Amino acid sequence: MSDVRPDEVSDILRKQLAGFEKEVDIYDVGTVLQIGDGVARVYGLTHALMSELVEFPHGVFGMVLNLEEDNVGCILFGESSEISEGDTVRRTGRVASMPVGEGMLGRVVNPLGQPIDGRGPVATEKLSPIERKALGVIQRQPVKEPLQTGIKAVDGMIPIGRGQRELIIGDRQTGKTAIALDTIINQKYTHGEKAKREGIKPVYCIYVAVGQKSSTVAQVVDKLQQEGAMDYTTVIAATATDPAPMQFIAPYSGAALGEFFRDSGRHALVVYDDLTKQAQAYRQVSLLLRRPPGREAYPGDIFYLHSRLLERASKLADDLGGGSLTALPVIETQAGDVSAYIPTNVISITDGQIYLEPGMFNSGIRPAINVGISVSRVGGHAQIKAMKKVAGSLRIGLAQYRELEAFAKFGSDLDKSTLAQLRRGSHLVELLKQGQFVPMPVEKQVVALFAGTYGFLDEIPLEHVARYERELLEVMELRHADILGAIASTKDIAPEVGDRLKEIMKQFTESFRASVKA
Amino acid sequence: MKNLLVARRYAQALLESAGTLQAVEDTARDLESVAAVLNASRELRLLAGSPVVRPARKEAIFRELFGKRVGKGTMDFLAFVIARQREAHLGEIAEQFSLLRDMKSGVVGVEVASALALTPAQEQDLSRALGRATGKGVRLKFTVDPAIRGGLVVRVGDTVLDASVRRQLELLKARFIAGPSTN
Repeated sequence: MSDVRPDEVSDILRKQLAGFEKEVDIYDVGTVLQIGDGVARVYGLTHALMSELVEFPHGVFGMVLNLEEDNVGCILFGESSEISEGDTVRRTGRVASMPVGEGMLGRVVNPLGQPIDGRGPVATEKLSPIERKALGVIQRQPVKEPLQTGIKAVDGMIPIGRGQRELIIGDRQTGKTAIALDTIINQKYTHGEKAKREGIKPVYCIYVAVGQKSSTVAQVVDKLQQEGAMDYTTVIAATATDPAPMQFIAPYSGAALGEFFRDSGRHALVVYDDLTKQAQAYRQVSLLLRRPPGREAYPGDIFYLHSRLLERASKLADDLGGGSLTALPVIETQAGDVSAYIPTNVISITDGQIYLEPGMFNSGIRPAINVGISVSRVGGHAQIKAMKKVAGSLRIGLAQYRELEAFAKFGSDLDKSTLAQLRRGSHLVELLKQGQFVPMPVEKQVVALFAGTYGFLDEIPLEHVARYERELLEVMELRHADILGAIASTKDIAPEVGDRLKEIMKQFTESFRASVKA
Repeated sequence: MKNLLVARRYAQALLESAGTLQAVEDTARDLESVAAVLNASRELRLLAGSPVVRPARKEAIFRELFGKRVGKGTMDFLAFVIARQREAHLGEIAEQFSLLRDMKSGVVGVEVASALALTPAQEQDLSRALGRATGKGVRLKFTVDPAIRGGLVVRVGDTVLDASVRRQLELLKARFIAGPSTN
């Protein structure tokens, strides 16, 4: 490194000091009346705006949340212990905003957009208000492109479209985050050359962690890095140690960043993990601000809290660039109680839900998706034709299986067709099992489900289904890559392709059965 | 926490009952002197804030202290406040009263802090300049605050015109931390 010349230093100093004399700073101030856990009441600040940022001493920032006759209620984004009654509060004149831009990709930031990954400042040039009104009817169009999660059970039966809001709901430890992470990891293919050729646009991902353990967030970031998914992903973390106001605004920051991609004609996916904790954080600050409690002590606007957030997910009209923002909110239930306040609210807001059950999880069915009560209200239009063909009967097959399964426990005398249905069902359940962090391209999913719905699996012993699937896909990849290619590019199974597929599977199944017997 | 709601209501009521402008001015002066005494005497503050002392005794003490010094209206008001057991808020009531009076008569209170005491001529100049700038009558309150290092800090209502050296240094620090300037 070359030496810094003294005159260079004084030059820079002089430049920085220019204009030092003439500045008269004009700002509005107030006085702290009361300070509590994460909230403050401020006297003065007469002209403060709703959700405006205000500056407390010691570099602590706050946001205006309550405007009252003679005082202003603020939530604090920093240590409240450093502030005392009588301190001066200064208006900043700008509403709470999130810096947005490509520079955010690959970074871990807090809900104010400040980096927390120790890799220096984030290079962004734009600020976007965290609270923004969702788009109206005119600016939108129906969801029509698929967002592939890479999970057979989801892409087959509960398809998600770009611009959709699909809730992931279940008890603790049922694999909710796993589904969200798999979906993020699976977006890697959309950034590749192959996707470009097939006309699939890249999806940028935002993972918003609310109220989670810092160690869990570190694990998630680590996993995403290992899988090469951080290149197109931003993690916004408000962990359990962060003040409740941070946890409350985190999802809005995520939405603001997602909107940046959406509004520039691109596609974004944002995972809110999880909104139960956000609701609890909001309940905390609301009660501290003395807003009246309602059901389960949540404030009256708790529904609006989530509806205004999830409404921001959308598919833009073509003349606005056709971008999209898909939302995957996560809700944690207590002992499977989906009729609690927050779960019912979010279920009614979203366009469907993926319901995960601890019972299924513990009996080894993973992902533990209960297909019976999981739905996707709009994703069906976005599903590719090939998948529609193979997965159409999947849902019915599984529904019949579940009905018979309970019934079959009582008696052993079952007729042939019932036995066949039971066998088909049990094989389909086995086929839909999938490991974590191994998302599957859609053409392979189609082939695997094809084997299931056309009955090629029926004669295979259950414990061999996983191996059957693996080897079948290997064979397809090695010897019949053209079929996989045709499905991927046409997004359909042409009749002759279907015939060839049946032929290949017939041969493969025969040789596989021979290997099972041997 | 200061109970502004209570203070404002009592101040409003007092303002309305005082009637004429002259009476308002007299009451304001009386209240200010009461507040000053309260401020100066810790014992009196503790007495006013104590729920153990009966209102009748408090009233007797207040009458003896202020009976000859303040007008009858003000003394009645003090007795009323004591009877309602709001005497702990007297300081705030006095503050609110002067605010409300200023609002009514179109006067703004301006606080001017400087590092060194201003000369009377400077104070005159400032008063005229602020009167022009706000378009209202100004009531100036000068304080000396060495912590601002130099310059002036003028506070009009909630708005602060900060031309102090301290603020300049703060801004300079922020600019150095933020990195190379763009202009």
